[in-house]
Amino acid sequence: MRITAALPTGMAALLFDAARRRREMEGRMAGELAAAGYSEVILPVLDYLEPYEPILSSASRGELYSFVGRGGELLALRSDFTPMLARLLAPRLPSLELPLRLFYRGDVVRYQDERAGRQREFYQVGAELLGAGDDAGSRDAGPEVLRVFLRLLSMGEARPIRVVLGFAGALDEVLLGAAGEAGAELAAALARRERRQAGDASRLLHRLVETGLPEDPAELGAGAAGKLRRLLAVRERLAAEFPDVGLSVDLAEFAPQTLDPRLAGSGGRRSYYDGLVFRAYAGQRGLPVGAGGRYDRLFHTLGAEVSAAGFSIDLERLMDGRAPRTTLAAAAGKGR
Amino acid sequence: MIRLALPKGRNLPVVTAALAAAGVDPAPIEQGERRLWLELPGEGLPGDGLEVLLLKDWDLPLYVEYGVADCGFVGTDVLDEMGGDLLVPVRLTAGHSRLSLIGRRGDLPEPGSQVRLATKYPRTARRLVAERSWGAEVIKLSGSIELAPLLDLAEIALDIVQTGRTLEENHLAELEVVAEVAPCLVVNRASYQQHRETLNDLVGRMEAAEVAR
Repeated sequence: MRITAALPTGMAALLFDAARRRREMEGRMAGELAAAGYSEVILPVLDYLEPYEPILSSASRGELYSFVGRGGELLALRSDFTPMLARLLAPRLPSLELPLRLFYRGDVVRYQDERAGRQREFYQVGAELLGAGDDAGSRDAGPEVLRVFLRLLSMGEARPIRVVLGFAGALDEVLLGAAGEAGAELAAALARRERRQAGDASRLLHRLVETGLPEDPAELGAGAAGKLRRLLAVRERLAAEFPDVGLSVDLAEFAPQTLDPRLAGSGGRRSYYDGLVFRAYAGQRGLPVGAGGRYDRLFHTLGAEVSAAGFSIDLERLMDGRAPRTTLAAAAGKGR
Repeated sequence: MIRLALPKGRNLPVVTAALAAAGVDPAPIEQGERRLWLELPGEGLPGDGLEVLLLKDWDLPLYVEYGVADCGFVGTDVLDEMGGDLLVPVRLTAGHSRLSLIGRRGDLPEPGSQVRLATKYPRTARRLVAERSWGAEVIKLSGSIELAPLLDLAEIALDIVQTGRTLEENHLAELEVVAEVAPCLVVNRASYQQHRETLNDLVGRMEAAEVAR
């Protein structure tokens, strides 16, 4: 075989300065997390597939690199730190002192179609907070991890930083009222901001597509209204604390993150979120650089009851976003 | 300034007409001839104007998804084939066509039969075949799809039909309409958060002029 420097699709080697820059960023983030009281965990890159069967969505299953091991067991390469950490901690929780603050760094691999910005290996830094609080928006795990998330994002050079907030199940009542069991399809249309489908369903959904928020939280139903008010208060506090970050609440962005079983199947890869959810964009790139949220039900599915919230940041994407967009005037200048 | 990607192909006149109806003067595009990157300054534009990229249809979703462009117009045929995670706020009311199964014999394949299907849309074709009672080997072609069933490269083809005149002239029949196709506005999620008001303004003008819905 002729030896070349080619790598499989979606893989990249970082050499020289690129490697140094990433290690530097990773080290700074690890330092920040340690200073905030988070302890590092190191997780294996290969695991059994079986423990994840009850929590895998069809989207996450399609991204897995899985295979039969030499002993005949089904194995999978690490594709997401959160479920791995949860399944390792769930049986040990009774003997652990809570709250637990943990962080990790390392690669995950996911199959993705070959296209710009869609790598198949991602280097992530993330954190998880277990056993600290009740529900989204109150003084609990969600806002604490969101604050740490914002601090880490701000350590990157990419600007502007925009973080979108929502909570799982926010639109369940509205979706079921407008479309019944076809609500999962309507949720997907809302997340794509399809104005016609939203408008045909209701004025409220059209407004949610346009602005991300109802005119009055009460329009979402009593339970969701209370959560939205608390989330808006969290946004206000954090916006004052992080004036350089564009923080917005957009319920349409997370419409497929549902809780009602009649709307199941719309949540995508991170369908385990059940409270506060957030997603970040940085610089001029269109793809998210990080995401997180509250995921108590992941532990519940694994037989443990504990509040849990966390996030992960994709370091390559965050660092890729630092270059400003080339302008027409600048390009014309280069050509002269 | 928002950067808008426009398709260089058959949808360009439809899209520039829609922009004109929304108060954006497309003259620099029409006069630009070979320019692939230009600005549309002037009054009545949302925000502080538009920067325009002219791209091949098949490349346009990538430019938008990656964030090189904030938004763009592309046919739903290309968008469905490419996949990806883009917002699709509106479709234009003009420039519609059909994605159809076409063939020489006038009938769809018999249940249980295995055929060859020629197309520019292999993923869409595979999804379609997965739900049929007949099977197909999907053959990816880049153009002149109609020739494939005529010359027996394939029994059927999946392609865009606009007026049906090409089919008629080549003794082919439209066997089944698979999807209605329309140019649509696509936006990446990050740009939507950053330029929401401007984009809503542009889309609102198009809806008011009834060139988009």
